[in-house]
Amino acid sequence: MERRQPDLVLIVARSFATKLATPTLIIDANGDLVYFNDAAAEVLGSSYLDVGALDASRWQELFQPRRLSDEEPLTAEQTPGGVALLERRPVHDSFAFRGLDGREREITVTAFPLFSHPDEVVGVMSIFWELPPAP
Amino acid sequence: MIVRVWGARGSLAAPGPATVGYGGNTPCVELELADGTTLILDAGSGIRELGQRLVERDPGALYVCLTHLHLDHVEGLGFFAPLWRAGWKLRFWGPPSPTATLRARVSRYLSPPLFPIGLSEAPAEAEFEDAPREPWRVGSAVVEAQTVEHRGPTLGYRIEDEGRVLVYLPDHEPYLTAGLGDEPKWISGWALAAGADLLLHDSQYTEGEYTDRIGWGHSSMSHAASFSRAAGVHRLGMFHHDPMRSDRQLEALYDQVAEVVRDEQEPPLIARDGLEIVLS
Repeated sequence: MERRQPDLVLIVARSFATKLATPTLIIDANGDLVYFNDAAAEVLGSSYLDVGALDASRWQELFQPRRLSDEEPLTAEQTPGGVALLERRPVHDSFAFRGLDGREREITVTAFPLFSHPDEVVGVMSIFWELPPAP
Repeated sequence: MIVRVWGARGSLAAPGPATVGYGGNTPCVELELADGTTLILDAGSGIRELGQRLVERDPGALYVCLTHLHLDHVEGLGFFAPLWRAGWKLRFWGPPSPTATLRARVSRYLSPPLFPIGLSEAPAEAEFEDAPREPWRVGSAVVEAQTVEHRGPTLGYRIEDEGRVLVYLPDHEPYLTAGLGDEPKWISGWALAAGADLLLHDSQYTEGEYTDRIGWGHSSMSHAASFSRAAGVHRLGMFHHDPMRSDRQLEALYDQVAEVVRDEQEPPLIARDGLEIVLS
């Protein structure tokens, strides 16, 4: 039996997210998507039960995040969650992506690193809102 | 590895005629490792009697793993004889904190006005340090600590000695942050407990009591049984008995736990003061 599991901070964050009505997504220390809640499913266009965990390159490929200003593709490391993970600081930014239902969306995101120890980040929690369509 | 329980009561020492069978001492478990090393889990009131026995031998090294610093897990230190005699070398591990050393945190209890004598006055050589994040060796055993779900920073311990595994999760509420049907890896403490020969696990509440105490950091008996099943444990030891629970009540509740693990495990046991189990 392989005895590997996420850090308790990530377990508790996931449990917290399940109870939130705010769209919330969690990535682990590798940048892999490990959970998003039901509220997030509405924005992302599919439920976590249907999608499951995704590694960083796969979720970037599926969602195709793009910069708002010039539509340039964003790598996983350039999204707010990626920056929060790499630079170990909170990040607030907006970007566009394609939902899993094929609909284009723009969202604003606040992402913050989850520290289990002062020197150890075990993941990132991102809360986000869909931006209203431009008038 | 020989496992000796010196205290299995939770929250508050509970001596008296109604608890004389399973005992009233708060958590303390002695492990006699294959190479003779003594490793102690928690320092509840049960450590007093253990200390009396230890000082019958020549002073030496002792190792103590503290799960957390709630009073019922450290209250015995003031009467742990080796700490108060010169010549003994004690090494303590406990949960990490970003703000204070383990010694400073333990000293909050072992200092006036809560205790008349300060830890700095103890004649023994005592070292305190945060538990390592990676497994480490103590005598012939490998010890692993992981943070688990309870109120405040709390560790569970896995001790593997000559291929046999004891897991100690005396204060643990795994189903606060997971559903009973969740993937095991999202259940607090699962990796620590996986495949253990013996799991001493929090079994404080009945189902009815748990409903009124969700989030207090403890498990119901059926949650303890479900957790042990999810982790593929060979035998569950019910531990951290509620201080209000009489011997008769504990035995009446035993069948509920046994039912959950029936056909998959050895029959569970009710941990009690004086219990000795050889894992070999």
